[in-house]
Amino acid sequence: MNVAADRPGRYGRMMTSVLRGTLRLDVLINRIYPTDFNPLYYTGGLSNLFLLILVLSGVFLFFYYVPSLGGAYDSIDYITQRVPYGDIIRGIHRYAADGFIVAVLLHLFRNWFTDRYLFSRDNPWISGMILLLFAGFIGVTGYQLVWDDRAVALTTMFAAMLQSIPAIGPLLVRLFLGGTGVSDETLVRILMLHIFPASTLYLFLWWHYTRIRHPKIWPPAVWVLFCVGLVFLLAGLIPATSTGAAAPAVRPTTLPLDVFFLWPFALLNVMPPGAVVVLLVVLFVLGLAIPYISRREAPPQMGVRHAGVAQVIDGNCTGCELCYYDCPYNAIIMVPSPAPGLSKAAQNRTLLAVVIESRCVECGICIGACPFEALELPKFLERDIRAQVTDALRPAEAVRS
Amino acid sequence: MKVVGFVCDWSVDLHPLLDGRRLRGVEGVHIVRVPCSGFVRPAWVEDALTAGADGVFITGCPYGDCLNREGNFLMRDRIDALQRRLQRRRIDPARMTMLAYGLHDGDAFVADVRAFVDRLAEKKAAAGTP
Amino acid sequence: MRTAYRWGILFLCAVALVFALGIVVGEATDRWLFGGAMIGGLLIAYSFVLLLLRKMGLVGPRKAER
Repeated sequence: MNVAADRPGRYGRMMTSVLRGTLRLDVLINRIYPTDFNPLYYTGGLSNLFLLILVLSGVFLFFYYVPSLGGAYDSIDYITQRVPYGDIIRGIHRYAADGFIVAVLLHLFRNWFTDRYLFSRDNPWISGMILLLFAGFIGVTGYQLVWDDRAVALTTMFAAMLQSIPAIGPLLVRLFLGGTGVSDETLVRILMLHIFPASTLYLFLWWHYTRIRHPKIWPPAVWVLFCVGLVFLLAGLIPATSTGAAAPAVRPTTLPLDVFFLWPFALLNVMPPGAVVVLLVVLFVLGLAIPYISRREAPPQMGVRHAGVAQVIDGNCTGCELCYYDCPYNAIIMVPSPAPGLSKAAQNRTLLAVVIESRCVECGICIGACPFEALELPKFLERDIRAQVTDALRPAEAVRS
Repeated sequence: MKVVGFVCDWSVDLHPLLDGRRLRGVEGVHIVRVPCSGFVRPAWVEDALTAGADGVFITGCPYGDCLNREGNFLMRDRIDALQRRLQRRRIDPARMTMLAYGLHDGDAFVADVRAFVDRLAEKKAAAGTP
Repeated sequence: MRTAYRWGILFLCAVALVFALGIVVGEATDRWLFGGAMIGGLLIAYSFVLLLLRKMGLVGPRKAER
């Protein structure tokens, strides 16, 4: 690690080149799509779109699904063969799930590599990691609900992974299976583990959005059409199928695994269940820690971008609310003014702006919004700007030979 | 020719383009680095134009990619309001402009600034001749 | 360039029309997978028509970005 504060360390340099690579991708895409259609600027909205598709198709499937060992496979078969467009809706559900994970991963990596987790943006980050974790569980249980032989294998492997957790492993297995072996109880619990986290997703999304003003929760029309069309097309061209019906005598040796959701199960080929669990936990904890340990730049390198939390100059504030409306992070609130201000315009105020320091990301947009010089960034004051401008406009000095 | 540019530090990569605070490649352009294009107070722009600057430009991230999400949109709206105010003060609103460039757009940024400065120079020359 | 975009839009609209007929055929013959794929193709064609319209300048960005 580097000791010099003004030169970034190896990690900082690596992350900076990752940032540059990410933005280079933008340049490529902006050649084809105008910037307000660039899908990389709407990765969150794309995820939300796929989530809605999943919810709608999932409700449809839920009406026909039977959560019992004998009935599950046949009910899926019924949907696929006998319900009009049932096979399409089932395919849409599967491909929208993959699309959701792709969009969420793009969202995660883009926001990580472009420093969009700094300061109070750790809130959306943490809630986003939890959303990802829940999405993983929902996807795995989705593959288990079909109760084909892949599902049986997945359930057995999942129980083995639970069993390997020290101390509480056997208890978790009993809770998951609903007893000592796989029964109808198990399938009911898997259905619960599929639907209940799915409904709490919107609760975590509320947390995900709450520190942001005007979150971009929906992609532009071009991408709505494209993504909905894509899931329909894939569902029609590559129908989603179950593997063989679960039967006690049949022991498949290879199974097709969806790489997005089922990669931990593929790892079981090379690692014991306990090691896979440890790996998943480590990845999750590291992911949660990113806003706190992934520092691309130390504060001195950030220069004006780390100029201190915005400060309200109480004497000048007139309560006009312009900063309150402009702050992208809801970091300014208006409170009833406890006393009149000092300047003439501030004498008759009824409201006073207050900066919630934990929410401030030091962007300075409120400073630009304020017409009354009532906000400043502590390390980059108005007079510093004016000094720089005056310096720039000084008549050119005579050239010394 | 004296032009002041307020450039967002998250937008175009200024490191290879600056000579101290002057922009390399275009004569007479001084850059003030700001934490977000939305940080710029319209009053600073107006005062710079009346204090001897021939032109002022503000540069933010590409629309849709502001690191602080809305900074460049908000600044765009403020610039539009400022244009009207400048008209009322009989200051040519074309002396001020807003640009949007990303990290790798250094060349396009410099070219755009050069075009802006050239336009200003033409206007100045045209106004100077009787 | 504009003529290229115009031909592109015409081509995509023709393709979209074929897909629309395909939807009707799929519905009439109860071939749901085929009908669904046709719906998908139609929507994707529409998305590219919108993109080309935007590149032609017939639909515009919001005011703040001009």
